[in-house]
Amino acid sequence: MNYKLLHIFRNTPFGRETFLQSLYFCKTINAFPVAYIPKSDKFLMYFSNDAVQVDLDQSYLASPDTARQHAEELFDEMDIKPMFYEPKHFTASSLPDVSTNFDYLCCPRSVSDLSSKIGLGHIGPRVRRIIKHATFPVLITSPVFKPWKGISVFFGGSKNALNALNLGLKIAMSSGLPLDIYTLLEKNDETYFRRLIQDHGLEEPVSQLSRQWIFYEKSEFDTMLYEVPHNSLIVLGAYGHGIIKDILLGSKMEQIQSTVTNNLLITGPNCIISL
Amino acid sequence: MELSVFELSEYLGVVPDTIERWVRQGKLPISKKGAKYRFRLTELEKWASKHNISLDISKKKTAAKKITGRENQENNDSISLSTAVQNGGVYYDIQGKNVKDVLFSAVQNNPHIPDEFKSELVQRLVEREAALSTGIGNGIAIPHPREPADFLSHPMICVCFPELPVDYDALDHQPVFVLFLILCPDLKLHLHLLSVLAFCLKDRDFMGFLNTRPDPLLLVKEIERIQRTNPI
Amino acid sequence: MSKIKNWYKTLYQRLFHLDDRLLLIVAGSIAGICSGLAAVALRLSLETVLEWLHGFRHYWWAFVFPAVGALLSSLYLDKIAREGAGHGVPEVIYSVSRYGGLLRFRSSYSRLISSFLTIGSGGSAGPEAPVVMSGSAIGSNIAKFLGLNDRQRITLVGCGTAGAIASIFNAPIAGLVFAIEVILGEWKFVNIIPIAIAAVAGAEVSQAIFPEQVLFNHQPFQVGASDLLPSLCLALGTALISVLFTKILRRVRKTAGQLSFPLWIRALIGGCTVGIIGMFLPVVLGEGYHFIQSMISGTFSMGLFLTFVAIFAKIFATAMTLGWGGSGGIFAPCLLIGSLSGIFFYKVLFVLFPSFECAGQGAYALLGMTGLISGVMQAPLTGIFLIVEITGGYETILPLIVVSSISSTLSHYIEPASFYFKELIERGQFLRPGTDERILSDLNVSELIETDYITVSENMVFRQFIDTVRMSQQNFFPVLEDGSDQYKGLIQISSIRKYALDPGMYDMIFLSQIMDTKVISASLENDLQEVLDSMDINRMDSIPVVENDRFIGMISKNRILDLYRRELIVQTSVH
Repeated sequence: MNYKLLHIFRNTPFGRETFLQSLYFCKTINAFPVAYIPKSDKFLMYFSNDAVQVDLDQSYLASPDTARQHAEELFDEMDIKPMFYEPKHFTASSLPDVSTNFDYLCCPRSVSDLSSKIGLGHIGPRVRRIIKHATFPVLITSPVFKPWKGISVFFGGSKNALNALNLGLKIAMSSGLPLDIYTLLEKNDETYFRRLIQDHGLEEPVSQLSRQWIFYEKSEFDTMLYEVPHNSLIVLGAYGHGIIKDILLGSKMEQIQSTVTNNLLITGPNCIISL
Repeated sequence: MELSVFELSEYLGVVPDTIERWVRQGKLPISKKGAKYRFRLTELEKWASKHNISLDISKKKTAAKKITGRENQENNDSISLSTAVQNGGVYYDIQGKNVKDVLFSAVQNNPHIPDEFKSELVQRLVEREAALSTGIGNGIAIPHPREPADFLSHPMICVCFPELPVDYDALDHQPVFVLFLILCPDLKLHLHLLSVLAFCLKDRDFMGFLNTRPDPLLLVKEIERIQRTNPI
Repeated sequence: MSKIKNWYKTLYQRLFHLDDRLLLIVAGSIAGICSGLAAVALRLSLETVLEWLHGFRHYWWAFVFPAVGALLSSLYLDKIAREGAGHGVPEVIYSVSRYGGLLRFRSSYSRLISSFLTIGSGGSAGPEAPVVMSGSAIGSNIAKFLGLNDRQRITLVGCGTAGAIASIFNAPIAGLVFAIEVILGEWKFVNIIPIAIAAVAGAEVSQAIFPEQVLFNHQPFQVGASDLLPSLCLALGTALISVLFTKILRRVRKTAGQLSFPLWIRALIGGCTVGIIGMFLPVVLGEGYHFIQSMISGTFSMGLFLTFVAIFAKIFATAMTLGWGGSGGIFAPCLLIGSLSGIFFYKVLFVLFPSFECAGQGAYALLGMTGLISGVMQAPLTGIFLIVEITGGYETILPLIVVSSISSTLSHYIEPASFYFKELIERGQFLRPGTDERILSDLNVSELIETDYITVSENMVFRQFIDTVRMSQQNFFPVLEDGSDQYKGLIQISSIRKYALDPGMYDMIFLSQIMDTKVISASLENDLQEVLDSMDINRMDSIPVVENDRFIGMISKNRILDLYRRELIVQTSVH
């Protein structure tokens, strides 16, 4: 298939780590990374019901003359054909429109806040809005390049979690890596989840592709987070409820992203994944 | 009503991308709810008729039927040679010394042709022979009328073995020992049968087999064998 | 928040599900009121600050005011609001035509603040374009909140615009006409009613807050048939001036763009220049409504020569303000330049024919304004209705129409793209509804592509290929590399005829020997316009689409025509 990942290239050592992470992700699941080297400190992404302006911090514009060369070197290192994205349309002369027609997007945890450059930090407000409106999953990388050897899906049972499960299965299929499913039992018991996947016709792929399905009691959330293999890609759905919907991505999601150093692949509420 | 974009795309005959765009732009009377698209059937029907777009909401139920229908149609399109031969039958010891006589008795002996058309058919066949002989060589002739034989309900090939080889004015001047009379209600099938038959007749084994004047069952079986090895 | 949404949902289902017109009217009037409030707020604060600064005007160092204002405004836009410079109207039009009117929330206030800083300090610019920008952003964000679709959102953007213009000039019809003529570009029944209501709502807001004040007071004018000929000549003059104005604006901006100074130094220099001009000719400072008022009422006291100089001083000052980092629109400068040219023309007329009987100075100021608005924006209706409404004088309507139509026609002849559209036309983004460009930009390559193609391997023997051809209907066969499935080339049935008719060749050649590897291909990222262009240049009827060395499908002209027609029907039909 012809999946494409958009990576906003940052020509700094930290940017190199995230870029390597994107390249690794693409290589593992057979997608094509497309690098965008920003030429102005902001760009717009038009989604179906929102226009999100992404303000980049100055480090994205650092040493523009070496950026392309550095990116190409990294492409070569991973033995991937270099591809670059050039915005075609401009809302204003210094405000390019970046296409939303990608299958994945790679984001650091924050794109406009210098303070959280290296540490775990919180997901910035722009990244939140992108996740909320994106029709594609967003890859949030760990601060340092860290190859992953497995896939962990956090399957919570809501509609969006099914999306996450679908996505996890899809990635397991294209990468051939083992898949583990983690479920926190909050309101429903184990049989409910088994029936859920049965109803959605996922029983067969789950049994074929997944290595294990582990259930945790409600109080064991921290245990679960600790037991997730440190070298796995975490796939999860983000969807908050009620008032916090517009501000946060759901309480569990917030907790996960601030505790776990793994790479996260997040499907937002507008993301529809089919196998 | 709620449907997915793929179902809608099937009903409206429009690519899913286009439907998504139209809904986003507000051109379709459909609202999006998660992955589902919600609409009122009457409104959508009105919209479709106004914009010259065919809407066939019942397609899904008839989809299964349609597939079988298409298969039938394909069968119609490409009736197999063996079926045509079974339809037409095999006839031995046809009388006659020249082209006209042979054709006359071949038609007269054929039970599938209604009596009132027989004389006309013979005349047409003779005309066709006069224009250009259908003796294609190696002792084989494929007589057929130019116009489709619209009085028939099925296409058929009647295999006729004359009592004695007939001088048919063939291309290689060999006397003809077998005639394949092709009668089709429509021209397309006629061409199809003609090409399939021509293909079979290239087979040397089959030629030798024909020389033995096989009985109908064996002949059909042999044709089926050739068809199986070379499906067209 | 969630309660409001729930309440809204019930309301929506009960009331608006039947028809979205009611919804649009309600939402549109809210947009009109909000943008009206924004406009009133800007006007009030501008008046206050201008009054306050007036006390300092006589000091020698007063020329730094515009510089400081421009500096703050450009820094605010660039560093805090992080918006692009410029007046924003092309941005609104662009977003309406390409993205269904999606605008950022920050646009609804950023231009207000920056133009307040620019104009309040004395920079020569108009508050209308910023108000239009924020009004349309308010409309767009209301639509976003309600989760409306593109068509409804565009209507609400129009509502916001109309409300803003209606409120700042207290001119509802001008608001309606401007929104439709300039921003939306399509007269549609479903648009007009909500926009008209929004315009009235905006005007009502401004009247409620300034009860007694029409922006420019109404004066009785005696305009007779003898004024027709002079107004004709005036129209020629205003057309030339509007073209000149547009050209200078663009030229100055271009020069500023080529300089390598940081933004804030540029803004400082621009502001200082304006300030220095303003020391000698205070008429160039600010939005100039006060001077326009005096010109209309006939109390304007500058001499002939000074008026002439003032026209060009204002043009230059506006160009320096807007081009060098200030923020604001050209609406008010247009009005001022127009009335100056009207007065100048009147004075020339008076000198040449002292005994000529015609209407007063004020009437010619009005005619000049119309001429300039129509000429610069090439929106004749907006020009006519705006002037009629803001002066409340219908007596001048006949010469107004003459001036407006001649001026816009002539300036269109010299300079086919109006000020608002020029940038978009240059970028190829001027996509009015129902036009060819619009339909081509809406249709995506991925929608046009036909993917059900049988592919063949490059190591296939020709005989095998002939069998494949016999089985299929297609005229093009993409050739892939064995193993990697990379696209290698294309075989067109029409170009292999000479081999196909020669059975002797069947076992002699492989497909890699006869495939055409030089066929131009398109990719999914191309716009349809680009694809069509390359098909036209290379005289192709079908073009393969290749992405990352993978064959995706073919696009044929047949299919394009099919979908183009369908799209045209869907786009231009009355809802």
